[in-house]
Amino acid sequence: MPDSNHTSSNRTDTAKQVNENQCHMCMPLGGVIAFKGVEGSMALVHGSQGCSTYMRLTNVEHYHEPIDVASSSLNEKQTIYGGEKNLKKALDNVRRVYNPKVIGILTTCLTETMGEDLNRIIASYKAEKGEIYTDIIPVSTPSYDKSHTEGFWTATRDIIAHYARKDIAYHRKINVIVPHISTADIKAIKLILDTWGVDYTLLPDYSMTLDRPFAGKYAKIPEGGTSTADIAEMSGGLVTIQFGLTCEESISPGHYLEENFGVPLINLPLPIGIGNTDMFMDALARITGKTMPKNLGYERGWLIDAMADSHKYNASARPAIYGEPELVYAYASLCLENGSVPSVIASGSVHSRLAPALDRLLEESDCDEMPVILEGADFSMIEAAALETGANIAIGHSGGRLLTENHDIRIVRAGFPIHDREGGQRILSAGYAGTLTFLDRFTNTLLEKKHSSYRELRKQELLSKIAAVTETGFTTE
Amino acid sequence: MTLSKVDMDELMAPFPDKVVRNRKKHIVQKDCTESCQQIEANTRTVPGIITQRGCCYAGCKGVVVGPIKDMVTITHGPIGCAYYSWGTRRNKIRADDNTPAEDLYGAMCFSTDMQESDIVFGGEKKLAKMIDEIVGIFHPRAINICATCPIGLIGDDLGAVSKAAEERHGIQVLHYDCEGYKGVSQSAGHHIANNQIMEHIIGKGTDKVDGKYLVNFLGEYNIGGDAWEIEKLLEQIGYKIVSTLTGDSAYVNIRNMHQVHLNLVQCHRSINYIADMMETKYGTPWLKVNFIGIEATIESLRDIAQCFGDKDLIKRTEFVIEKELAAVTPEIERYKKICNGKSAFAFVGGSRSHHYQYLLRDLGMDVTVAGYEFAHRDDYEGREVIPTIKSDADSRNIPELHIEADQEMYEEPHIHLKMSKEKYDELVASGKLGNYEGMYPDMVDGGIMIDDANHYETEELIEIFKPDLIFTGIKDKYISHKMGVPSKQMHSYDYSGPYTCFRGAVTFAEDVANALSTPAWKMITPPWDKADIEGGE
Ligand code: SF4
Ligand code: SF4
Repeated sequence: MPDSNHTSSNRTDTAKQVNENQCHMCMPLGGVIAFKGVEGSMALVHGSQGCSTYMRLTNVEHYHEPIDVASSSLNEKQTIYGGEKNLKKALDNVRRVYNPKVIGILTTCLTETMGEDLNRIIASYKAEKGEIYTDIIPVSTPSYDKSHTEGFWTATRDIIAHYARKDIAYHRKINVIVPHISTADIKAIKLILDTWGVDYTLLPDYSMTLDRPFAGKYAKIPEGGTSTADIAEMSGGLVTIQFGLTCEESISPGHYLEENFGVPLINLPLPIGIGNTDMFMDALARITGKTMPKNLGYERGWLIDAMADSHKYNASARPAIYGEPELVYAYASLCLENGSVPSVIASGSVHSRLAPALDRLLEESDCDEMPVILEGADFSMIEAAALETGANIAIGHSGGRLLTENHDIRIVRAGFPIHDREGGQRILSAGYAGTLTFLDRFTNTLLEKKHSSYRELRKQELLSKIAAVTETGFTTE
Repeated sequence: MTLSKVDMDELMAPFPDKVVRNRKKHIVQKDCTESCQQIEANTRTVPGIITQRGCCYAGCKGVVVGPIKDMVTITHGPIGCAYYSWGTRRNKIRADDNTPAEDLYGAMCFSTDMQESDIVFGGEKKLAKMIDEIVGIFHPRAINICATCPIGLIGDDLGAVSKAAEERHGIQVLHYDCEGYKGVSQSAGHHIANNQIMEHIIGKGTDKVDGKYLVNFLGEYNIGGDAWEIEKLLEQIGYKIVSTLTGDSAYVNIRNMHQVHLNLVQCHRSINYIADMMETKYGTPWLKVNFIGIEATIESLRDIAQCFGDKDLIKRTEFVIEKELAAVTPEIERYKKICNGKSAFAFVGGSRSHHYQYLLRDLGMDVTVAGYEFAHRDDYEGREVIPTIKSDADSRNIPELHIEADQEMYEEPHIHLKMSKEKYDELVASGKLGNYEGMYPDMVDGGIMIDDANHYETEELIEIFKPDLIFTGIKDKYISHKMGVPSKQMHSYDYSGPYTCFRGAVTFAEDVANALSTPAWKMITPPWDKADIEGGE
């Protein structure tokens, strides 16, 4: 979003052929992030170089980290004769310079339209090269079909599928699959799992690769990520916990493991809010047979205590929540728990199970006014709905900036991308403690607005008194 | 400053031989005792080698046509392309006398968001409907349609769609065949955009523009308000800018651009086509200027005044220079104390790596390595090499317009400048008009010019030259941070700016001084490790 100096008029109408100020990004972008969560991996986008450059740009603006994404750099000629030669060259060069353990190849609209057969090209590449150290994993990500959210799920599923084997010995480790969330939330979820003392494999774990501590040296491929050895064992796991309530079955990694390898799936909402985090704790209790660690109990207590304290403010909030389905669902339930009945709940994606999930959630809550639910939304729709329903605060990424610029609806930033504030990757909302951090930001945003407008109101009140004085002469009350 | 010779083979050790052979041609180390060696530029990036380049669509929509504030620009394609080019360059816009606030579309992003069925059955219908809806809702003065990669493949005929839409709605609908795979970088997109703007917008306006010294300001995109600084300065002296291309520009003004006396060119790479074509068609002379840097600004102001040769104008120019200089010198001196003697790298765009060398020199800093993402040879070596540049398959697929002198509107260049033919010839002989000498003459001895630098080379060069600061795009900004070298993002200025003219130089100096003195860099080694070092092994 540009920070142009004008305020555009309150246009609220939307052209339905038009996607005006969109709320979602393209499919390979999500795939790139998923691959960043695999140890020693590089992502290679098969298409013109513009796509990969743009994806790096968007990621870097959010994460403030070096993010290498290679491209097969197709030119006009290859659009006619096929991109095989370029892709093979790119594989050569990426292997030479980075020596990655894994290369994830993501297609683009261009190569999908061309009908490139990645499996064949990779097979022929492997035949040419013989034994190679690098695992090559192709993922089909046509953006004209799905958005970055589904790109993330699809790539995660394909990564698992690449390594999964029937002959893996059954073991006691649990699989944990996360959606596209902040690195801080991944760390929070890992901390909870560690606190419970369970043995787990979390995928995709980009908590280190996309948030590297300063080390004075630059490693071409960052430390961290889920190791391929661990991923290979996932098909023999005890159970899968997937935070993918809204994920369609056809691209659900957890569903894939259950269907093909009989690993039972516990599909949960993200542990944001009391109820959702309780579900996660409950699952862990059932899996491990243990009771919840004491300090997590304290954290829950602190959260409840704080919720009771801040309800007097939060009850007045009518948040517009927008972004990726899984996050939107989690924030909606957190808001409902705090008496902040959402005014709008919107996602740019159309391929999710968000709407039915929200229906269930809203049915259970007893709010009088139902929020407007938008799928496949762009910001002209979100803006219009927010105004209509009297939204007074928003939760979402930087894409919604015009809500503040045009209507002074302040945004509690969360999700992706966040390029107009520092620390998008550090935004914490998961677990009891994370929820509390988020809730305080939410409440304080309401308070800030209240205080700033309070002064404005007082000023106007005073000015009108002075005006009255000058008109009527001095009066004593 | 003299720098020692860099061993190119060592620099590129991990690359395969073929890549080394290719990349070596893109790197030149300046040797003052020799004339400029040839550098290879504007050729394909090697697949799999990560560089900063974008695509043709990015150059056309993202750079040139996107900032035109009163046109609705539609990206015809799947969602990503439009999303990624949405406001990333901070081209600022505002309402003005000719363009009220409700005619501003610069902050918005329009995409046909193509779906699978559009790819299979073609997207023309969807695009046509979208145009109808946009006209219905916004009533824009004119519309741009930019193509993305899949469009060329599915064969949508944008020309036909826009022509039909023009007939339906009675407004101009321009289309740009700027599929991302065309050419080798953004540069192809600049050219395509230049062609359409030249052919279909410039010269169509009939409102007479009054003013004694009318100029256009080409190749200025108003990042962080850069163009507004320049406009303020030029207006003080007595010039009137009819239009910029394209920062804060308006369709209604671009139509009248042909009426100016002189074209000023800031970014040579992205806009030199229009400068050239306007000279052929209307006889408008052009002058390369640079408003980045105090000395550079002063020189540019003097050059412009010389072009008109008017005594009063020259006097006013000197007066303004003196006044502005007095206002900023104390502050600049203050920051100079921090910056002096430091060295920097500059990797940006197709002109800025050159422009910023002037400003850094004002601060006592040297640029040891400089490179462009998408420049051509002339941006490095100067325009005299243009006739010797071989065209290849990639450049041939960008159409050249065949421009001829306009029968009604052409005027001799000296008439544009209101001077005698003799005086004009003198001016031409001075070599300033219609010329650009490129980056090479301004490089320090031993400095490296590098074209389309990749991540790997950047890293190696940092190791070799150990610069104090790096000016770059956001994509490689954080590599240098990880190596402990601060960086400034020069595409959108890290949300700062404007950096042009006198005031801008101060803002820039402050930002640079801040970057150089970030306390965090001093705290890298914890005290317990420091004690170890001091105590000896
Ligand atoms: S698809 Fe083509 S036009 Fe779109 S971003 Fe990629 S390279 Fe550019
Ligand atoms: S062509 Fe497709 S993959 Fe490439 S940027 Fe555009 S939407 Fe994304």
